[in-house]
Amino acid sequence: MKGRSRIVLVALVLAALVTPMVTRAQQPATAQERGRGGARGGGTGNAQPPTSPVTGNAVNGKTLFYNYSCYACHGFNGETGRAFVGNWSFNLATEANFVSFLRFRANVAPATPSTGMPNYAENTLSDRQAKDIYAYIRTFKSHAPELKDIPTLTQIVGAASKPYKP
Amino acid sequence: MAKSNKAPVNRRGFLKGAAATAAAGAAALVADVPGVEAQPAGAGAGQPGGAAEQSGSAPPPSARQIERDAGNARPPLSVRAITRPGSDLMVQVLKDMGVEYVAANPGSSFEGLQESLINYGTPPNRMPELITALHEESAVTMAHGYGKAEGKPMAALLHGTIGIQHAAMSIYQAYYDRAPVLLLAGRDEGFIAAHTANDMAGMVRSFTKWDAQPRTLEESLVALQRAYNEAITPPNAPTLVVLDIELQKEEARGVSVPGYRPPQTTGIDSGQAREIARGLVEAQNPRIAVGRLRTPRGVLQAVELAELVGATTSTSATGGPMSFPQRHPLCGPGASATYDYTLGLEAPGAQVALNGPGLATLLSRDTTNIGFGGIAGRGVRGGSGGSGRGGRGGTGDVAGLVIQVDAEASLPFIIEEVKRQLTADKRHTIQDRSARHAEANQHARIEAITQAVESKRSGWDGSPVSTARIYAELWPLIMNEDWCLSSPSGFSGGHHAQLWDHNKPYSYLGGQGAGGMGYGAPASVGAALAARSRGRIVINVQTDGDLNYAPGVLWTAVHHKLPMLTVMHNNRAWHQELMFIQYMTGVRGRGADRGHIGCSLRDPYIDYARIAAGYGMAAEGPISDPAKLAAALKRGVDSVKRGEPYLIDVITQPR
Repeated sequence: MKGRSRIVLVALVLAALVTPMVTRAQQPATAQERGRGGARGGGTGNAQPPTSPVTGNAVNGKTLFYNYSCYACHGFNGETGRAFVGNWSFNLATEANFVSFLRFRANVAPATPSTGMPNYAENTLSDRQAKDIYAYIRTFKSHAPELKDIPTLTQIVGAASKPYKP
Repeated sequence: MAKSNKAPVNRRGFLKGAAATAAAGAAALVADVPGVEAQPAGAGAGQPGGAAEQSGSAPPPSARQIERDAGNARPPLSVRAITRPGSDLMVQVLKDMGVEYVAANPGSSFEGLQESLINYGTPPNRMPELITALHEESAVTMAHGYGKAEGKPMAALLHGTIGIQHAAMSIYQAYYDRAPVLLLAGRDEGFIAAHTANDMAGMVRSFTKWDAQPRTLEESLVALQRAYNEAITPPNAPTLVVLDIELQKEEARGVSVPGYRPPQTTGIDSGQAREIARGLVEAQNPRIAVGRLRTPRGVLQAVELAELVGATTSTSATGGPMSFPQRHPLCGPGASATYDYTLGLEAPGAQVALNGPGLATLLSRDTTNIGFGGIAGRGVRGGSGGSGRGGRGGTGDVAGLVIQVDAEASLPFIIEEVKRQLTADKRHTIQDRSARHAEANQHARIEAITQAVESKRSGWDGSPVSTARIYAELWPLIMNEDWCLSSPSGFSGGHHAQLWDHNKPYSYLGGQGAGGMGYGAPASVGAALAARSRGRIVINVQTDGDLNYAPGVLWTAVHHKLPMLTVMHNNRAWHQELMFIQYMTGVRGRGADRGHIGCSLRDPYIDYARIAAGYGMAAEGPISDPAKLAAALKRGVDSVKRGEPYLIDVITQPR
């Protein structure tokens, strides 16, 4: 009974996880998503990285992250373009979420210009490979010092107070 | 086509025969000059049929001959057949109009004009100065960049047919960008048949504003003036004059240079000016949305108007040239964003908007019905270079009266009316209001930049270098300089729009015009030509794919000692397309690891510092460690402040 309850609970959780993913995936990308450059980490994800289990091979994942052009939109460190470091979304919360997310992207050509997330079908990127990529991006760390520790940026803020000179 | 009285010369045949007769000719020439030793006919080494060949032992050339062959001996004045060539007068016309530069890649169809450019006038080769271009596309894009920076044309000189076709894409871009560019092309019927055409300008007519192929020297001089004036009359656009080689070379005889008169652009009528002035003066909180004006003078007038009436303004200066100074105390939403009168100057969405003629007014020139996208209808800018709401708040979406008239030409009339209507009381009220706006705008600016720097922290210490860090590190180095950001920033994150202050008409020159690649470096060279004599430096954040179209323009920057700092945004790809193709593999569910093919620049990577060095430019890199960036940029800025162009290859994040 206890075991069955756990199975039911897991099923319910999975259903809750997958349903919004499918719904989102079937919707066309929003205008904002299609915009060049896209949002820069200002989403509703978690600031801290997930702690869920990782089964993939991060070393192999690094190669795949490059070969499958993940870096193209997310930067080499997940901090530029469509950044996710510091903004860990639901789709990155677990390995399973990540794999499902790759499969359920809208399978339609985007309106130009688009930086919308491409679909990654199983025949071109296996579950094993997807998990390797997930393992790799879970190694990502923030390269964003505190503002007070970046003299250039504090200097820029300070300069904004200077009077205007034609 | 009027021809000279001379019998047509087949120059191919002439050149072939020239080798055989050069020595004899030279001998005849020098024989007329006292003290110069004549050489016997056929004495030149290897001259067929000469005495040396016949005897089987060629005597060595004399020192004087070697000097002549090396170009170190000028023909004496007494042998000049033409003393006042037509092309001298053409150059005089350019001088009178204030044309600073003529960029050209050499071509036989304009050799007369080229000789005049480099030798006519005192001092020669100044105003205009001949700029050596390594590609016609570069020459025209230089003029494009210069035109956007200064609001007036420099010239690009093109060889008949083939040079024009090389230049075609860049002419098209300048046209879309409404940049004033003066194009000159040579035409030579008597030389290479493939390099001439009956209607030379026809190849680019659909995307130029005006052209002429004059038949006489007199007509040529007038055509040059007309072409210049058409280029700077709204809508600004490239114009083309085809100059016959014989008109360039022939003796001008009694022809004189006609006096130049600048164009008179029609502005708003007095009744409309009075109404607008009343609206601004009587309003409790007026607003002026400023789009892209035509010249720095227009920008000054917009400032004068805003200050006179105490109106807050929006600006498009972060999106392109010739708009309101971003940090002016009146630029911003002001103390209250509820505006009771709004005026648009080449900007939409105002109660009353003055919008000059757009490219659609030129559609009659598209006689072959090519139908370039957007010009006739939606999707292209009309009178405005931007939304008019860039940067610091707009007018709101007001559906108001649009008056089809050039805003810049109208401003003097509105200013005059405002001055007439202002009372002492009004001036006092406006002064108070302006002070409140200034304080609010300053506060808004500090708040905006505080938010902006927060977003730039992301990936700050990451490698490769973030594009945000490039713009951020540059700003403290140039903020106290007179600078111009000449390169489009759309592919590089556009971070300057949030971090830098765009206070000059030329602070940012905006996009390519028609999205064509190969623009950044040559446009920057054009901007640097404008900057060189004005104590200004030019910043070119150069995307790698874009540079590879015609990188020889780096040599032009070195050769002419231009203050241009190039910072490579080297993401080793035509990255926008890479993302598109990657998406397409996803749509089709195949080969997602092959999306980079055809879009990436890898295997091998390109070493831009070495390319620049090959062209003689001081350069360093590649830099992928962000900690090394600031010092390199400092070296680069110091170099361009000395008038020496510099390139830094920075390996960057893709975007």
